[in-house]
Amino acid sequence: MSHTASSPDPFDNLRLELRRGCLVLAVLAQLRAEHYGYALRKALADRGMAIDENTLYPLLRRLETQGLLVSEWREEEKRNKRFYRLSSHGQGVLDQLLEEWQSINASLTRIAEGDALWELKAES
Amino acid sequence: MELLNRYLHAVKFWLPKSQQEDIIAELGEDLRSQIEDREAALGRPLDEDGLAAVLKQRGNPMLVAGSYLPQRSLIGPALFPIYQFILKLVIVWILPPIFILVVGPATVLSGRDPSLALAETAWTLLMAAVFAFGVITLVFAAMERYPHESMLKWDPCRLPRVPPAEPITQPQPVPGYRAIAELLAAIGASLLWIEVMWLRTSFDFNGVAITLAPVWRSFFWPILLVTLSGVPIGLMGWLRPWWMRARSCVRLAVDGVTLVLTGALVNMGPWVRVAAPNLPAAGVADANHWANVGTSIGLGVVAIITLVDAVQEARRLVRQKPAGNHAPVAVRR
Repeated sequence: MSHTASSPDPFDNLRLELRRGCLVLAVLAQLRAEHYGYALRKALADRGMAIDENTLYPLLRRLETQGLLVSEWREEEKRNKRFYRLSSHGQGVLDQLLEEWQSINASLTRIAEGDALWELKAES
Repeated sequence: MELLNRYLHAVKFWLPKSQQEDIIAELGEDLRSQIEDREAALGRPLDEDGLAAVLKQRGNPMLVAGSYLPQRSLIGPALFPIYQFILKLVIVWILPPIFILVVGPATVLSGRDPSLALAETAWTLLMAAVFAFGVITLVFAAMERYPHESMLKWDPCRLPRVPPAEPITQPQPVPGYRAIAELLAAIGASLLWIEVMWLRTSFDFNGVAITLAPVWRSFFWPILLVTLSGVPIGLMGWLRPWWMRARSCVRLAVDGVTLVLTGALVNMGPWVRVAAPNLPAAGVADANHWANVGTSIGLGVVAIITLVDAVQEARRLVRQKPAGNHAPVAVRR
Protein backbone atom coordinates (compact mmCIF):
# COMPACT_ATOMS: atom_id res chain seq x y z
CA MET A 1 0.00 0.00 0.00
CA SER A 2 1.40 3.39 -0.90
CA HIS A 3 1.18 6.49 1.25
CA THR A 4 0.41 9.95 -0.02
CA ALA A 5 2.46 13.07 0.52
CA SER A 6 -0.06 14.32 3.06
CA SER A 7 0.18 11.20 5.25
CA PRO A 8 3.54 10.78 6.96
CA ASP A 9 5.67 7.75 6.27
CA PRO A 10 4.57 5.06 8.78
CA PHE A 11 8.24 4.22 9.32
CA ASP A 12 8.89 7.71 10.72
CA ASN A 13 6.03 7.45 13.20
CA LEU A 14 6.99 3.95 14.32
CA ARG A 15 10.63 4.96 14.60
CA LEU A 16 9.64 7.89 16.83
CA GLU A 17 7.59 5.59 19.05
CA LEU A 18 10.45 3.11 19.26
CA ARG A 19 12.97 5.80 20.15
CA ARG A 20 10.80 7.48 22.79
CA GLY A 21 11.40 4.86 25.49
CA CYS A 22 15.03 4.36 24.47
CA LEU A 23 15.73 8.09 24.88
CA VAL A 24 14.81 7.96 28.58
CA LEU A 25 17.18 5.07 29.02
CA ALA A 26 19.97 6.85 27.14
CA VAL A 27 19.53 10.06 29.16
CA LEU A 28 19.53 8.21 32.48
CA ALA A 29 22.59 6.17 31.49
CA GLN A 30 24.50 9.22 30.25
CA LEU A 31 23.75 11.06 33.48
CA ARG A 32 25.67 8.57 35.56
CA ALA A 33 28.27 11.28 34.98
CA GLU A 34 27.25 14.89 35.63
CA HIS A 35 26.35 17.01 32.59
CA TYR A 36 24.62 20.30 31.91
CA GLY A 37 21.89 20.31 29.28
CA TYR A 38 23.83 21.41 26.21
CA ALA A 39 26.80 19.11 26.98
CA LEU A 40 24.42 16.20 27.57
CA ARG A 41 22.77 16.78 24.21
CA LYS A 42 26.13 16.83 22.45
CA ALA A 43 27.30 13.72 24.30
CA LEU A 44 24.17 11.84 23.27
CA ALA A 45 24.46 13.04 19.67
CA ASP A 46 28.14 11.97 19.55
CA ARG A 47 27.03 8.48 20.57
CA GLY A 48 24.36 8.31 17.85
CA MET A 49 21.40 9.24 20.05
CA ALA A 50 20.56 12.75 18.82
CA ILE A 51 17.69 14.33 20.74
CA ASP A 52 15.73 17.46 20.03
CA GLU A 53 16.22 20.27 22.57
CA ASN A 54 12.50 20.70 23.02
CA THR A 55 12.27 17.03 23.97
CA LEU A 56 15.37 16.86 26.17
CA TYR A 57 14.75 19.72 28.58
CA PRO A 58 11.13 18.85 29.41
CA LEU A 59 12.25 15.22 29.81
CA LEU A 60 15.01 16.24 32.25
CA ARG A 61 12.45 18.18 34.30
CA ARG A 62 10.06 15.25 34.35
CA LEU A 63 12.76 12.83 35.44
CA GLU A 64 13.85 15.24 38.15
CA THR A 65 10.27 15.59 39.39
CA GLN A 66 10.09 11.80 39.56
CA GLY A 67 13.21 11.82 41.75
CA LEU A 68 15.40 10.02 39.21
CA LEU A 69 17.70 13.00 38.65
CA VAL A 70 19.11 15.75 40.83
CA SER A 71 20.24 19.11 39.53
CA GLU A 72 22.07 22.18 40.73
CA TRP A 73 22.91 25.58 39.28
CA ARG A 74 26.64 26.20 39.24
CA GLU A 75 28.96 28.67 37.60
CA GLU A 76 31.24 27.32 34.90
CA GLU A 77 33.24 29.38 32.42
CA LYS A 78 31.70 32.53 33.95
CA ARG A 79 28.18 31.33 33.16
CA ASN A 80 25.49 29.82 35.31
CA LYS A 81 24.65 26.31 34.15
CA ARG A 82 22.32 23.69 35.47
CA PHE A 83 24.07 20.37 36.05
CA TYR A 84 22.15 17.12 36.16
CA ARG A 85 23.17 13.73 37.50
CA LEU A 86 21.47 10.47 38.37
CA SER A 87 20.08 10.24 41.92
CA SER A 88 20.55 7.08 43.98
CA HIS A 89 16.92 6.21 43.30
CA GLY A 90 17.55 6.89 39.60
CA GLN A 91 20.53 4.52 39.66
CA GLY A 92 18.30 1.72 40.95
CA VAL A 93 15.64 2.43 38.34
CA LEU A 94 18.27 2.61 35.59
CA ASP A 95 19.62 -0.82 36.57
CA GLN A 96 16.11 -2.26 36.42
CA LEU A 97 15.40 -0.56 33.11
CA LEU A 98 18.65 -1.79 31.56
CA GLU A 99 17.84 -5.32 32.65
CA GLU A 100 14.36 -4.98 31.15
CA TRP A 101 15.77 -3.50 27.94
CA GLN A 102 18.23 -6.39 27.59
CA SER A 103 15.43 -8.88 28.09
CA ILE A 104 13.28 -7.12 25.48
CA ASN A 105 16.24 -6.91 23.12
CA ALA A 106 16.93 -10.64 23.48
CA SER A 107 13.27 -11.51 22.91
CA LEU A 108 13.04 -9.24 19.89
CA THR A 109 16.19 -10.65 18.36
CA ARG A 110 14.80 -14.12 18.87
CA ILE A 111 11.49 -13.21 17.28
CA ALA A 112 13.05 -11.29 14.39
CA GLU A 113 15.65 -13.89 13.52
CA GLY A 114 13.53 -16.97 14.15
CA ASP A 115 13.86 -19.53 16.94
CA ALA A 116 16.04 -21.98 15.01
CA LEU A 117 18.70 -19.41 14.19
CA TRP A 118 18.65 -18.23 17.79
CA GLU A 119 19.22 -21.73 19.13
CA LEU A 120 22.06 -22.21 16.65
CA LYS A 121 23.67 -18.99 17.88
CA ALA A 122 23.15 -19.93 21.52
CA GLU A 123 24.82 -23.30 20.94
CA SER A 124 27.85 -21.76 19.21
CA MET B 1 21.59 39.52 21.75
CA GLU B 2 18.47 41.65 21.73
CA LEU B 3 16.80 39.11 19.47
CA LEU B 4 17.60 36.33 21.95
CA ASN B 5 16.08 38.31 24.82
CA ARG B 6 12.97 38.97 22.79
CA TYR B 7 12.71 35.24 22.03
CA LEU B 8 13.12 34.28 25.70
CA HIS B 9 10.53 36.87 26.69
CA ALA B 10 8.09 35.43 24.16
CA VAL B 11 8.60 31.89 25.53
CA LYS B 12 8.25 33.14 29.10
CA PHE B 13 4.82 34.56 28.35
CA TRP B 14 3.40 31.05 27.79
CA LEU B 15 5.00 29.39 30.83
CA PRO B 16 3.40 28.94 34.27
CA LYS B 17 4.62 31.69 36.63
CA SER B 18 6.15 29.27 39.14
CA GLN B 19 8.53 27.83 36.52
CA GLN B 20 9.19 30.84 34.32
CA GLU B 21 12.54 31.98 35.73
CA ASP B 22 14.02 28.50 35.99
CA ILE B 23 13.03 27.38 32.50
CA ILE B 24 14.05 30.65 30.86
CA ALA B 25 17.46 30.60 32.58
CA GLU B 26 18.14 27.09 31.32
CA LEU B 27 16.76 27.74 27.83
CA GLY B 28 18.81 30.94 27.58
CA GLU B 29 21.95 29.10 28.66
CA ASP B 30 21.36 26.36 26.10
CA LEU B 31 20.82 28.87 23.30
CA ARG B 32 23.92 30.85 24.29
CA SER B 33 26.00 27.65 24.24
CA GLN B 34 24.61 26.81 20.82
CA ILE B 35 25.36 30.33 19.53
CA GLU B 36 28.91 30.13 20.91
CA ASP B 37 29.45 26.82 19.13
CA ARG B 38 28.24 28.30 15.85
CA GLU B 39 30.46 31.34 16.27
CA ALA B 40 33.46 29.12 17.01
CA ALA B 41 32.75 27.09 13.87
CA LEU B 42 32.40 30.24 11.73
CA GLY B 43 35.30 32.08 13.37
CA ARG B 44 33.24 35.27 13.74
CA PRO B 45 30.27 36.54 15.77
CA LEU B 46 26.84 35.59 14.50
CA ASP B 47 25.00 38.37 12.70
CA GLU B 48 21.30 38.95 13.17
CA ASP B 49 20.35 36.56 10.37
CA GLY B 50 22.49 33.81 11.88
CA LEU B 51 20.93 34.39 15.28
CA ALA B 52 17.46 34.37 13.76
CA ALA B 53 18.26 31.03 12.10
CA VAL B 54 19.25 29.50 15.47
CA LEU B 55 16.04 30.74 17.09
CA LYS B 56 13.91 29.62 14.16
CA GLN B 57 15.44 26.18 14.42
CA ARG B 58 14.52 26.04 18.12
CA GLY B 59 10.88 26.62 17.24
CA ASN B 60 7.87 28.85 17.74
CA PRO B 61 7.99 30.32 21.29
CA MET B 62 4.48 29.12 22.04
CA LEU B 63 5.29 25.55 20.99
CA VAL B 64 8.60 25.55 22.85
CA ALA B 65 6.80 26.66 26.02
CA GLY B 66 4.10 24.07 25.38
CA SER B 67 6.67 21.27 25.38
CA TYR B 68 7.40 22.04 29.06
CA LEU B 69 3.75 21.76 30.05
CA PRO B 70 2.02 18.48 30.88
CA GLN B 71 0.30 16.90 27.90
CA ARG B 72 -3.44 17.41 28.20
CA SER B 73 -6.38 16.54 26.01
CA LEU B 74 -9.98 17.57 26.31
CA ILE B 75 -11.16 14.12 25.26
CA GLY B 76 -8.64 11.30 25.52
CA PRO B 77 -8.10 8.42 23.09
CA ALA B 78 -10.22 6.03 25.18
CA LEU B 79 -13.39 8.13 24.94
CA PHE B 80 -12.73 9.67 21.54
CA PRO B 81 -14.30 6.89 19.39
CA ILE B 82 -17.56 7.06 21.39
CA TYR B 83 -17.48 10.86 21.25
CA GLN B 84 -17.01 10.76 17.47
CA PHE B 85 -19.84 8.20 17.11
CA ILE B 86 -22.32 10.27 19.15
CA LEU B 87 -21.34 13.47 17.35
CA LYS B 88 -21.84 11.84 13.94
CA LEU B 89 -25.14 10.29 15.04
CA VAL B 90 -26.59 13.60 16.21
CA ILE B 91 -25.13 16.01 13.64
CA VAL B 92 -25.39 13.84 10.53
CA TRP B 93 -28.17 11.32 11.15
CA ILE B 94 -30.61 13.00 13.55
CA LEU B 95 -30.60 16.79 13.08
CA PRO B 96 -30.64 17.10 9.24
CA PRO B 97 -33.54 14.64 8.70
CA ILE B 98 -35.59 16.40 11.42
CA PHE B 99 -34.95 19.78 9.82
CA ILE B 100 -35.48 18.63 6.24
CA LEU B 101 -38.61 16.58 6.89
CA VAL B 102 -40.28 18.40 9.79
CA VAL B 103 -38.95 21.85 10.68
CA GLY B 104 -38.29 23.00 7.09
CA PRO B 105 -41.72 22.13 5.62
CA ALA B 106 -43.44 23.52 8.74
CA THR B 107 -41.59 26.84 8.39
CA VAL B 108 -42.27 27.05 4.65
CA LEU B 109 -45.96 26.33 5.15
CA SER B 110 -46.26 28.85 7.98
CA GLY B 111 -47.06 31.40 5.29
CA ARG B 112 -43.84 33.44 5.31
CA ASP B 113 -41.74 34.22 2.26
CA PRO B 114 -40.49 30.73 1.19
CA SER B 115 -36.91 31.85 0.52
CA LEU B 116 -36.71 33.54 3.95
CA ALA B 117 -38.26 30.47 5.57
CA LEU B 118 -35.68 28.18 3.92
CA ALA B 119 -32.80 30.46 4.92
CA GLU B 120 -34.14 30.58 8.48
CA THR B 121 -34.40 26.78 8.58
CA ALA B 122 -30.82 26.40 7.32
CA TRP B 123 -29.56 28.91 9.90
CA THR B 124 -31.45 27.21 12.73
CA LEU B 125 -30.05 23.84 11.61
CA LEU B 126 -26.53 25.29 11.71
CA MET B 127 -27.10 26.76 15.17
CA ALA B 128 -28.60 23.48 16.42
CA ALA B 129 -25.56 21.59 15.09
CA VAL B 130 -23.16 24.02 16.79
CA PHE B 131 -25.11 23.78 20.04
CA ALA B 132 -25.18 19.97 19.88
CA PHE B 133 -21.45 19.92 19.16
CA GLY B 134 -20.79 22.13 22.19
CA VAL B 135 -23.00 20.18 24.57
CA ILE B 136 -21.67 16.76 23.46
CA THR B 137 -18.08 17.99 23.74
CA LEU B 138 -18.72 19.39 27.23
CA VAL B 139 -20.36 16.16 28.40
CA PHE B 140 -17.44 14.05 27.12
CA ALA B 141 -14.87 16.46 28.54
CA ALA B 142 -16.59 16.06 31.93
CA MET B 143 -16.59 12.26 31.51
CA GLU B 144 -12.88 12.42 30.70
CA ARG B 145 -12.14 14.48 33.80
CA TYR B 146 -14.42 12.59 36.17
CA PRO B 147 -14.67 9.03 34.82
CA HIS B 148 -17.76 7.23 36.09
CA GLU B 149 -17.20 3.91 37.77
CA SER B 150 -19.51 2.24 35.25
CA MET B 151 -16.75 2.78 32.69
CA LEU B 152 -14.48 0.52 34.71
CA LYS B 153 -17.04 -1.95 36.08
CA TRP B 154 -18.59 -3.91 33.28
CA ASP B 155 -19.85 -7.41 32.77
CA PRO B 156 -18.92 -9.29 29.56
CA CYS B 157 -22.15 -11.30 29.90
CA ARG B 158 -24.19 -8.12 29.46
CA LEU B 159 -22.68 -7.25 26.09
CA PRO B 160 -25.30 -7.10 23.29
CA ARG B 161 -25.76 -10.11 21.03
CA VAL B 162 -23.99 -10.11 17.68
CA PRO B 163 -26.58 -9.32 14.98
CA PRO B 164 -26.98 -11.98 12.28
CA ALA B 165 -24.54 -11.50 9.43
CA GLU B 166 -26.03 -9.49 6.59
CA PRO B 167 -25.18 -10.40 3.02
CA ILE B 168 -22.70 -7.98 1.50
CA THR B 169 -24.71 -5.62 -0.64
CA GLN B 170 -22.75 -4.35 -3.57
CA PRO B 171 -24.48 -1.85 -5.86
CA GLN B 172 -26.30 -3.86 -8.49
CA PRO B 173 -26.60 -2.93 -12.17
CA VAL B 174 -29.93 -1.39 -13.13
CA PRO B 175 -32.49 -4.08 -14.04
CA GLY B 176 -33.49 -3.93 -17.72
CA TYR B 177 -37.21 -3.43 -17.05
CA ARG B 178 -36.43 -0.47 -14.80
CA ALA B 179 -34.20 1.16 -17.39
CA ILE B 180 -36.89 0.78 -20.07
CA ALA B 181 -39.56 2.10 -17.69
CA GLU B 182 -37.31 5.07 -16.95
CA LEU B 183 -36.87 5.72 -20.67
CA LEU B 184 -40.61 5.54 -21.38
CA ALA B 185 -41.43 7.69 -18.34
CA ALA B 186 -38.97 10.32 -19.52
CA ILE B 187 -40.52 10.42 -23.00
CA GLY B 188 -44.06 10.50 -21.53
CA ALA B 189 -43.19 13.24 -19.03
CA SER B 190 -41.53 15.33 -21.73
CA LEU B 191 -44.54 15.04 -24.06
CA LEU B 192 -46.90 15.87 -21.19
CA TRP B 193 -44.79 18.87 -20.27
CA ILE B 194 -44.87 20.16 -23.86
CA GLU B 195 -48.63 19.59 -24.06
CA VAL B 196 -49.47 21.16 -20.69
CA MET B 197 -46.97 23.99 -20.52
CA TRP B 198 -46.65 25.04 -24.14
CA LEU B 199 -49.61 24.00 -26.22
CA ARG B 200 -52.24 24.75 -23.59
CA THR B 201 -51.80 26.54 -20.28
CA SER B 202 -55.42 26.84 -19.26
CA PHE B 203 -57.79 24.06 -18.20
CA ASP B 204 -61.54 24.24 -17.85
CA PHE B 205 -63.41 22.04 -15.35
CA ASN B 206 -67.18 22.62 -15.54
CA GLY B 207 -66.91 26.39 -15.57
CA VAL B 208 -63.88 26.58 -13.29
CA ALA B 209 -60.81 27.74 -15.27
CA ILE B 210 -57.37 26.97 -13.92
CA THR B 211 -54.67 28.96 -15.68
CA LEU B 212 -50.96 28.43 -15.20
CA ALA B 213 -48.98 31.53 -14.30
CA PRO B 214 -46.45 32.85 -16.89
CA VAL B 215 -43.62 31.77 -14.56
CA TRP B 216 -43.98 28.21 -15.88
CA ARG B 217 -43.24 29.44 -19.41
CA SER B 218 -39.96 30.97 -18.30
CA PHE B 219 -38.95 27.60 -16.85
CA PHE B 220 -40.19 25.62 -19.84
CA TRP B 221 -36.85 24.79 -21.46
CA PRO B 222 -34.83 23.97 -18.31
CA ILE B 223 -37.58 21.68 -17.03
CA LEU B 224 -37.94 20.05 -20.45
CA LEU B 225 -34.21 19.33 -20.40
CA VAL B 226 -34.55 17.74 -16.95
CA THR B 227 -37.41 15.50 -18.08
CA LEU B 228 -35.55 14.62 -21.31
CA SER B 229 -32.42 13.72 -19.31
CA GLY B 230 -34.28 10.54 -18.34
CA VAL B 231 -33.91 9.38 -21.98
CA PRO B 232 -30.09 9.06 -22.05
CA ILE B 233 -30.13 7.81 -18.43
CA GLY B 234 -32.67 5.12 -19.36
CA LEU B 235 -30.73 4.18 -22.51
CA MET B 236 -27.52 3.98 -20.49
CA GLY B 237 -29.19 1.72 -17.93
CA TRP B 238 -30.63 -0.48 -20.69
CA LEU B 239 -27.65 -0.76 -23.05
CA ARG B 240 -24.72 -0.30 -20.60
CA PRO B 241 -26.03 -1.43 -17.20
CA TRP B 242 -22.53 -1.75 -15.75
CA TRP B 243 -21.85 1.97 -16.24
CA MET B 244 -23.07 2.52 -12.71
CA ARG B 245 -20.69 5.31 -11.75
CA ALA B 246 -21.46 7.31 -14.88
CA ARG B 247 -25.18 6.80 -14.28
CA SER B 248 -24.91 7.92 -10.66
CA CYS B 249 -22.91 11.01 -11.70
CA VAL B 250 -25.47 12.02 -14.33
CA ARG B 251 -28.38 11.43 -11.95
CA LEU B 252 -26.66 13.47 -9.24
CA ALA B 253 -26.15 16.32 -11.70
CA VAL B 254 -29.81 16.15 -12.82
CA ASP B 255 -30.92 16.06 -9.16
CA GLY B 256 -28.82 19.14 -8.50
CA VAL B 257 -30.39 21.03 -11.41
CA THR B 258 -33.87 19.89 -10.31
CA LEU B 259 -33.28 21.16 -6.79
CA VAL B 260 -32.11 24.54 -8.09
CA LEU B 261 -35.13 24.82 -10.40
CA THR B 262 -37.53 23.79 -7.63
CA GLY B 263 -35.93 26.30 -5.26
CA ALA B 264 -36.31 29.06 -7.86
CA LEU B 265 -39.93 28.07 -8.60
CA VAL B 266 -40.85 28.04 -4.90
CA ASN B 267 -39.90 31.72 -4.76
CA MET B 268 -41.98 32.72 -7.76
CA GLY B 269 -45.57 31.99 -6.75
CA PRO B 270 -48.48 32.31 -7.30
CA TRP B 271 -48.29 29.48 -9.79
CA VAL B 272 -51.93 29.11 -10.81
CA ARG B 273 -54.97 31.34 -11.13
CA VAL B 274 -58.47 30.02 -10.59
CA ALA B 275 -61.35 31.82 -12.28
CA ALA B 276 -65.00 30.85 -11.86
CA PRO B 277 -67.59 33.46 -13.02
CA ASN B 278 -70.43 31.43 -11.51
CA LEU B 279 -68.95 31.25 -8.00
CA PRO B 280 -68.96 33.96 -5.30
CA ALA B 281 -65.77 36.05 -5.07
CA ALA B 282 -64.86 34.71 -1.59
CA GLY B 283 -65.08 31.13 -2.86
CA VAL B 284 -62.83 31.93 -5.82
CA ALA B 285 -60.28 33.61 -3.52
CA ASP B 286 -60.29 30.48 -1.30
CA ALA B 287 -59.87 28.26 -4.37
CA ASN B 288 -56.95 30.41 -5.54
CA HIS B 289 -55.33 30.21 -2.08
CA TRP B 290 -55.66 26.44 -1.77
CA ALA B 291 -54.59 25.76 -5.35
CA ASN B 292 -51.37 27.66 -4.71
CA VAL B 293 -50.83 26.05 -1.28
CA GLY B 294 -51.26 22.67 -3.00
CA THR B 295 -48.74 23.63 -5.68
CA SER B 296 -46.22 24.78 -3.06
CA ILE B 297 -46.65 21.47 -1.18
CA GLY B 298 -46.19 19.64 -4.50
CA LEU B 299 -42.96 21.54 -5.14
CA GLY B 300 -41.80 20.70 -1.59
CA VAL B 301 -42.54 17.01 -2.19
CA VAL B 302 -40.58 17.13 -5.48
CA ALA B 303 -37.66 18.73 -3.63
CA ILE B 304 -37.70 16.05 -0.89
CA ILE B 305 -37.94 13.18 -3.40
CA THR B 306 -35.09 14.70 -5.43
CA LEU B 307 -33.01 15.14 -2.29
CA VAL B 308 -33.58 11.52 -1.23
CA ASP B 309 -32.64 10.33 -4.73
CA ALA B 310 -29.50 12.49 -4.65
CA VAL B 311 -28.49 11.02 -1.28
CA GLN B 312 -29.07 7.48 -2.62
CA GLU B 313 -27.01 8.18 -5.75
CA ALA B 314 -24.23 9.75 -3.68
CA ARG B 315 -24.18 6.66 -1.45
CA ARG B 316 -24.07 4.40 -4.52
CA LEU B 317 -21.23 6.46 -5.91
CA VAL B 318 -19.26 6.15 -2.66
CA ARG B 319 -19.86 2.38 -2.48
CA GLN B 320 -18.71 1.82 -6.05
CA LYS B 321 -15.00 1.49 -6.69
CA PRO B 322 -13.57 4.10 -9.10
CA ALA B 323 -12.90 1.42 -11.73
CA GLY B 324 -16.51 0.23 -11.51
CA ASN B 325 -17.44 0.91 -15.12
CA HIS B 326 -16.11 -2.42 -16.38
CA ALA B 327 -18.50 -5.06 -17.61
CA PRO B 328 -18.94 -7.66 -14.84
CA VAL B 329 -18.41 -11.35 -15.51
CA ALA B 330 -22.14 -12.01 -15.72
CA VAL B 331 -24.38 -9.13 -16.62
CA ARG B 332 -28.07 -9.32 -17.16
CA ARG B 333 -29.13 -7.85 -20.47
